[in-house]
Amino acid sequence: MGGWIREHPILTYQHGRKVKFYVDGKEYEGYEGEPIAAALHANGIRVYRKSMVLERPRGFFCAVGKCSSCFMVVNGTPNVRVCITPLKEGMRIETQVGKGEIR
Amino acid sequence: MLVKTADVVVIGGGIQGCAVAYNLAKMGCKDVVLLEKDTIASGSTGRCAAGIRAQWGTEMNCRLGIASIEIFENLSEELGADIGLHQGGYLMIAYKESEFEQLKKNVKLQNSLGIKSKVISAQEAKEICPLLNTEGAVGFTFHQRDGHADPLLTTFAYAEAASRLGVKIYDFTEVIGIDLEGDRIKGVRTNRGYISTRVVVNCAGPYAKRIGEFVGVDLPIYPERHEILVTEPIERVSHPMLMSFSGNFYIQQRPHGSFIMGYGPKEHEKTHAVNSTWMFLEEMARKFVKLLPALKELRVVRQWAGSYEMSPDAQPILGEVDEVEGFYVSAGFSGHGFMFGPITGKLMAELILTGETSIPIQMLNYRRFERHELIREPAVV
Amino acid sequence: MKETDILVVGGGPAGLCAAIEAARAGARVLIIDDGLRLGGQLIKQTHKFFGSKDEYAGTRGFKIADVLLSELERYGDRVEAITNTTVTGYYTDDGVFGALTGEERYFKVKPKRAIIATGAYEKTIPVPNCDLPGVYGAGAVQTLMNVYGVKPGEKALMVGAGNIGLIISYQLAQAGVQVQAVVEAMPKIGGYLVHASKIRRIGIPIYTSHTIKEIHGKEHVEGATIVQIDERWEPISGTEKYIEADLICLAVGLSPLIELLWQAGCKMRYVPELGGYVPVRNREMRTSHPDFYVAGDAAAIEEASTAMIEGRIAGLCAAASLGYRPPDYEERLEGFWAQLERLRRGPVTEKIRQGLPKAMKEE
Repeated sequence: MGGWIREHPILTYQHGRKVKFYVDGKEYEGYEGEPIAAALHANGIRVYRKSMVLERPRGFFCAVGKCSSCFMVVNGTPNVRVCITPLKEGMRIETQVGKGEIR
Repeated sequence: MLVKTADVVVIGGGIQGCAVAYNLAKMGCKDVVLLEKDTIASGSTGRCAAGIRAQWGTEMNCRLGIASIEIFENLSEELGADIGLHQGGYLMIAYKESEFEQLKKNVKLQNSLGIKSKVISAQEAKEICPLLNTEGAVGFTFHQRDGHADPLLTTFAYAEAASRLGVKIYDFTEVIGIDLEGDRIKGVRTNRGYISTRVVVNCAGPYAKRIGEFVGVDLPIYPERHEILVTEPIERVSHPMLMSFSGNFYIQQRPHGSFIMGYGPKEHEKTHAVNSTWMFLEEMARKFVKLLPALKELRVVRQWAGSYEMSPDAQPILGEVDEVEGFYVSAGFSGHGFMFGPITGKLMAELILTGETSIPIQMLNYRRFERHELIREPAVV
Repeated sequence: MKETDILVVGGGPAGLCAAIEAARAGARVLIIDDGLRLGGQLIKQTHKFFGSKDEYAGTRGFKIADVLLSELERYGDRVEAITNTTVTGYYTDDGVFGALTGEERYFKVKPKRAIIATGAYEKTIPVPNCDLPGVYGAGAVQTLMNVYGVKPGEKALMVGAGNIGLIISYQLAQAGVQVQAVVEAMPKIGGYLVHASKIRRIGIPIYTSHTIKEIHGKEHVEGATIVQIDERWEPISGTEKYIEADLICLAVGLSPLIELLWQAGCKMRYVPELGGYVPVRNREMRTSHPDFYVAGDAAAIEEASTAMIEGRIAGLCAAASLGYRPPDYEERLEGFWAQLERLRRGPVTEKIRQGLPKAMKEE
């Protein structure tokens, strides 16, 4: 599921530098400066958080930072909109459960 | 269609109006109409920070405060709907010696009235709120039964319970005049028709003065813009309402997880305007970060403003207006209408139906202003 | 506090054209966009545009974004653009906007005029499990695959056979995703026939008078049950079909993003044909608040081609209102309106033609 598109009849993709990042402790690779959500999706990760009350799985939805579906904990900060936050080398990303905690 | 007659017409669909209407019906008055020019809780009530406290500086407010808390504690059960009550206490913080002296005096008064508030040390304050920066503070008081309830849930619960008891609630119905017969109420004119009645209760909050003018009574109530902001929700890290009069702030984490906060405006403008300002956003954020530095990463998600319905002594105007028979007022709460709503709603119903109240409220009659019997409440943000 | 003549909120087709036109007239312009790059939805559009040469016909959307950006560069330091920045609010007391870059830098902007070109937001549909990961807005899917080169799923179900649904179904196929079906609640296809024939040719079935009854899956989408509906939109029992899919794309319409216009107190009107609440405006795209102009999907849900022209009108007129009135002002304004009228001909835009008069200010 997911993965990077390597061949396309119209488009050629200009990716940035490849960087390592971590999701719940596991190492992955993505492109620097692209939204975290793109890298997650390319790595087959679709569940980003569990909702506050019913703990339902939540993921990507609007891709424009408006819907609040894609909140994750990024470098310890909860409620980060991963669809519009650029990926950086070494980022530590965690599945968010509930409201998130300030540490 | 509007009804043509009613025993009592309550004007205003905020906490006061809904609580008065509910209590009237509960005490057996079957023909009550409530008129609201917008929607239920769309005015001051729905915009308030919803703190509840008994830590006051006048005997009257202490009595009303603790009696209201007692009702709040059983209100979900009584009304059959969750009201979002959380009793994390109010932690009062004094930054000046004179202010601390006043707080200590208040605690003495409160204790004499059965309110179990206490003076606490900085160490104890830190135990109650571990994230609190106590720098610069000279003293603290605390009362555990103070807290927070959801103003919308509470008011809706009152309105629904009132409806179940037969109260007719009309929203988007604005009162445009009140007719008298001699010095007696005859009926209420609205944008949707006429209702004949002998009793009108003015619960119009910041618009109470205008309603008074319809019967030729000058109520000294004016609106004042107060701003609020709210953050994103996080897991609970703080229970009490943090409040300081000299620091000029109140800050509390709601059951939902968001922090709600505000402070009193420097210049008191008499306005119905409820727009927001960036000055408030910046100043409030500064106060918050100074007080709870560990939470500096918290995001602000929304800001808004609402009207305090101010009276000259910051105490409510309650009771009948003697020159107009059948005209009652429950307004002028000066920022404390939500927390007093449950008790004043009950007292007003008692007064209207029996002529007597379980807590004496004569001293809150509007005549106090011409008699110059003002007791200024010292404990106000 | 940053000061400027004109603040353009949104750097999509409408905003970029507004900025170009205002800068051409001589005004200083600040564009603020919440995306990581300028271009808005254009940068993910790989299809060729319709219309005439004036509307970049025959050019693919993402190339149009490049053309507009290079056009903007001509005006050099008269134009400033800030990306990754959300305009957080408008304060009516002193006409100041708040803005937040990323999550770190907060600043204020005080412009003389504002052009709101914030675009639109995708609608969703209320069916069981519509909150599962794998149920995505069609535009979001387009961003994943066309901008960032990520394959959004293996098997897709498209909901909505308007132009967006049809175009993105084809693009999914181009990206190597197997499109299982397109479902459309209306009895006929809403988009252009060219787009519909293209996807039929590659074997994707289009079910009209069908809707999603339920989405299936535990941690993420695994499939959906679709069902035929009658003329009263009631499901016809016995017509259910299970469709396996790990991706459900919603192309069920857009809502204008108009929060800033509400905050400014602009007069708004509910016009369903235009997507919901939209600001009342005149032929200059000026709202009831004299400092506020609007363009693009924030004014009415239409297409990028009309958004660009509305943007030009708003930019031209906002600049003129500040004294930057080019000698060809009248001809330009009339020319833009002629272009708009040309683009709004034909059966697909009938709703727009019905809705627009309701949003135009009675003068």
